[in-house]
Amino acid sequence: MSRSTRTKAGAAVAAFAALTLSLTACAGETTPSASGSAGGQAAGEISYWLWDSNQKPVYQQCADAFAAANPSVKVNITQYSWDDYWTNVTNGFVAGTAPDVFTNHLSKYPEFVTQGQLEPLDEYLAADGVKTDVYQKGLADLWVAQDGKRYGLPKDFDTVAIFYNKAVLKDAGVAEADLQKLTWNPTDGGTYEKMIAHLTLDANGKRGDEAGFDKSRVKVYGLGLDGGSGGGNGQTQWSMYSGTTGWTVTDKNPWGTAYNYDKPEFQGTIAWMRSLIEKGYMPSLESVTGQSSADIFGAGKYAMITNGSWMINQMFSYKGVETGLAPTPIGPSGKRSSMYNGLADSVWVGSKNKAAAVKWVEFLGSAACQDLVGKSGVVFPAIPSGTDAASAAFAAKGIDVASSFLVHVTDGTTFLFPITDNASQVTNLMTPAVDAVFTGKARADSLTAVNEQVNALFTG
Amino acid sequence: MFIAPALLGFVVFYLYPTIRGFYFSMTQYNILGTPKWIGFDNFARIGKDPLFWNALWVTIEYVALNIGFQTVIALVLAVLMQRLTKSTVLRGALLLPWLISNVIAAMVWFWLLDYQIGLVNQFLEWTGLSRIAFFGDEFWAIPTVAFVNVWRHMGYTALLVFAGLQTIPRYVYEAASIDGSSEWSSFWRMTLPLLRPVLAMILVITVTGSFQVFDTVAVTTRGGPVNVTRVIQYYIYQKGFAEGQFGYASALSVVLFLILAVMAALQLRLLRAGESDLA
Amino acid sequence: MATLTEARADAERRERRRTLTPGRITAWVAMIVFLVLTLFPFYWMLRTALSTTRSLPSNPGSLLPVDFTWGAFQRVLGLSSQAQAIAEGGSGASVNFWLYLRNSVFYAGAVTIGQVFFCAMAAYAFARLRWPGRNVVFGIFLGALLVPPIFTSLPNFILVKNLGLLNTLPGMILPTFLMTPFAIFFLRQFFLGISREIEESAALDGAGPWRTFFRIILPMSTAPVTTLAILTFIQTWNDYFWPLLVGNSEQTKVLTVALGVFRSQTPAGSPDWAGLMAATLVAAAPVLLLFFAFARRIIDSIGYSGVK
Repeated sequence: MSRSTRTKAGAAVAAFAALTLSLTACAGETTPSASGSAGGQAAGEISYWLWDSNQKPVYQQCADAFAAANPSVKVNITQYSWDDYWTNVTNGFVAGTAPDVFTNHLSKYPEFVTQGQLEPLDEYLAADGVKTDVYQKGLADLWVAQDGKRYGLPKDFDTVAIFYNKAVLKDAGVAEADLQKLTWNPTDGGTYEKMIAHLTLDANGKRGDEAGFDKSRVKVYGLGLDGGSGGGNGQTQWSMYSGTTGWTVTDKNPWGTAYNYDKPEFQGTIAWMRSLIEKGYMPSLESVTGQSSADIFGAGKYAMITNGSWMINQMFSYKGVETGLAPTPIGPSGKRSSMYNGLADSVWVGSKNKAAAVKWVEFLGSAACQDLVGKSGVVFPAIPSGTDAASAAFAAKGIDVASSFLVHVTDGTTFLFPITDNASQVTNLMTPAVDAVFTGKARADSLTAVNEQVNALFTG
Repeated sequence: MFIAPALLGFVVFYLYPTIRGFYFSMTQYNILGTPKWIGFDNFARIGKDPLFWNALWVTIEYVALNIGFQTVIALVLAVLMQRLTKSTVLRGALLLPWLISNVIAAMVWFWLLDYQIGLVNQFLEWTGLSRIAFFGDEFWAIPTVAFVNVWRHMGYTALLVFAGLQTIPRYVYEAASIDGSSEWSSFWRMTLPLLRPVLAMILVITVTGSFQVFDTVAVTTRGGPVNVTRVIQYYIYQKGFAEGQFGYASALSVVLFLILAVMAALQLRLLRAGESDLA
Repeated sequence: MATLTEARADAERRERRRTLTPGRITAWVAMIVFLVLTLFPFYWMLRTALSTTRSLPSNPGSLLPVDFTWGAFQRVLGLSSQAQAIAEGGSGASVNFWLYLRNSVFYAGAVTIGQVFFCAMAAYAFARLRWPGRNVVFGIFLGALLVPPIFTSLPNFILVKNLGLLNTLPGMILPTFLMTPFAIFFLRQFFLGISREIEESAALDGAGPWRTFFRIILPMSTAPVTTLAILTFIQTWNDYFWPLLVGNSEQTKVLTVALGVFRSQTPAGSPDWAGLMAATLVAAAPVLLLFFAFARRIIDSIGYSGVK
């Protein structure tokens, strides 16, 4: 739909007529007029939304390249900050002003599918001969819904690693290589916890593993905590530990129908996190509520912090802090583990120009665009050649992502972000519950009762 | 007719959406689907919803703190403004916080009050006190949110009171000072009663306004930790927009609306806002 | 006669003002405490705005800018190149500052003029005119004050869309152009305080309600009307959510919406602090100037209500 006020008067009148027509059936009109037009001529203007302003320039490059190949289509890119993005998308659905194509997130898309707001892409892709097996393993499957239809083409992915402060390590007499082979278990935390304890420093200069350590006056925490308890998935807080215990968030993924928050492996992991807070090795939940952990890391208050690959550039940009990267620890399974989260581009069902919209999605999902994105060195594109380009771009900046973030992809130690229905309700139940364990108000086994509430959402 | 334009604006942009909202509160309605009539089921569910009662309680705590401090401080500031100086610069300075948005005010204070790198906590530690997790601690979180809002609104509210003070004719004070009453007693005997219409208005507006607190929580604690800052507006937002239960969220809004209506009516009656002692 | 006693009282008061009683000292101390509390965060914002974003955490307690730079202000005014902005921790978004400023002025100005004028009329009707159902209607209007925004934003958005006014300034202005419950309530309470005698004598002279309104009520209420106008202007100037919904095209963006890019860009990333603070200060500056320009008028009109 035309979002530009620069359209000439005639076009505006036509658009107005279209608007008035569509108002009678705001949400309902979903005539699949598309089936025939796939592969046909695409023309006109389409709108594309994304939330990461750091990526807007490179997607503009993609749009320019796309325009060169499809001179009759014009792509208008709009960026909203994350907080406003979803409000605008939802309101756009209701009012019929949503963008033709938009960047979609795994935590949102199941509900959009249920509400019938996304256009299935299968027929178009088949007609255009677009393959979906060209992406990093597993990423494409995430975007096939329960109805067996595909609602997005992968664009990029993220994994989790440890960022560490080189100066703090040096002070503690720890070699950087020591961080590469740490092991963890939920009982005593393994060599990982020993490392965290040793890197923790109080105001009197005592380390966390020394006698006389004052946990009420900690100057540098061995391990940071990323802004909260992580709710039901703990992506950057605890998923890299729980993933090594053999525990899975749901019975199957994607589209599980039962959550496993009642299992001892999970509750043991959460209890271990709580124990770090009690020992003074990790900041309390109260003290990090709502915080951006990156800034605290930038202030030199954390020796190590687990965070996602989308934070790389920011974490390496702080003045006065030399940052290093290490993979997450090896757990009871004998392997490392990282949540694997992917973004995709989706087409809105109400798009007035689906032919052009699909062409643009296909282009965004192609190596032509993803190699460009990779070269810009911001995120990891979903196509292997793009991932390699990104890896090389980071390496050129002196950042070694291959042995930290990408090791999970090469070793196959990733597990997919849990996708189920009722995702936001699960989050709203689990966040306070896990918070309560982190703050010491409840024991980890209290999560069993919450798990029943969560699973009741799927039986009701 | 004098009220015609306002009436038009009222009917189109307030009355109609409100009636629609009342209708939705009786339905099971996902924002993108079609509403399904379920009568009073939503309201029955609210009665049994512990999170609603928690949200209501948290909100009341917030409103009490916010209104208490804000009204007293605003009164003091307004009287100070009137008595001490006519300086516009000073008046403007006090209004400054109101020139920035809630969101920014919250972010600035969040940064200043941060447990680890916030200036206030560095100062606390320097004075030998222990650090306080202002936004995260169960005890401090709501007072802190209230503080941020008092900070942003106190100059503004003071200006409203001040405007009210200006309408009190000088002869009233003169009569008082001829009677030999002190400034203190004439404040209680004269100023405060004469301020009644304006104060009533300010109270109604600030009370209803603070029941709708949202921004400050949304950009700082997001309702946590656990549920300590989940104020009612934030709960409505979570239900309506995040979980897509628009019918239930509308019912919550209706309950909030009714509570506010009762409170406003009470306030107006108690303060007899309709009359001025002068007229 | 009135002027004579008043002049004397004035002189007396001035004398009293000069002598420093303990009470006055306490009062001044209180005032200064409030001022410091109010102003310090602004100093902090300025200090942050003049710092380099990614250097800030390295010295969080510094009272002076950390790694002084004008970069943040350049980003806000759209003067820095994309590469430069990203290097300093900002975003690569392009900023067309003067256009947004113009939109903001127009948006806030139009809303203020319409709202204050129409609400003054309505408030007069509620405060002074006698007509059946007045108090009931007023009560219902007041009820609008209690309507949670969750009710109104979406229907109004759809309405504006159906009128074909999406992404136009009129569409942004419309919902608050005719009334807000606050403005009516505010003015009504002040109109109530105006002496009836003056009006009654006007009525004896044969003046109708319109004449009374324009010739007597409005001129006598300069202080509250100006106050309301300033408050409305500031409030509208700071509007974020509504202009974001209905006026987000490049041509209609207001400052608050445009400068929103300085807030979080990724779900967990921290904002471009320096840019955000610079943006806030720059956006607040015009309103502040306006306030000082008009605040004089409030003061000048002080004597008014005293003369009866």
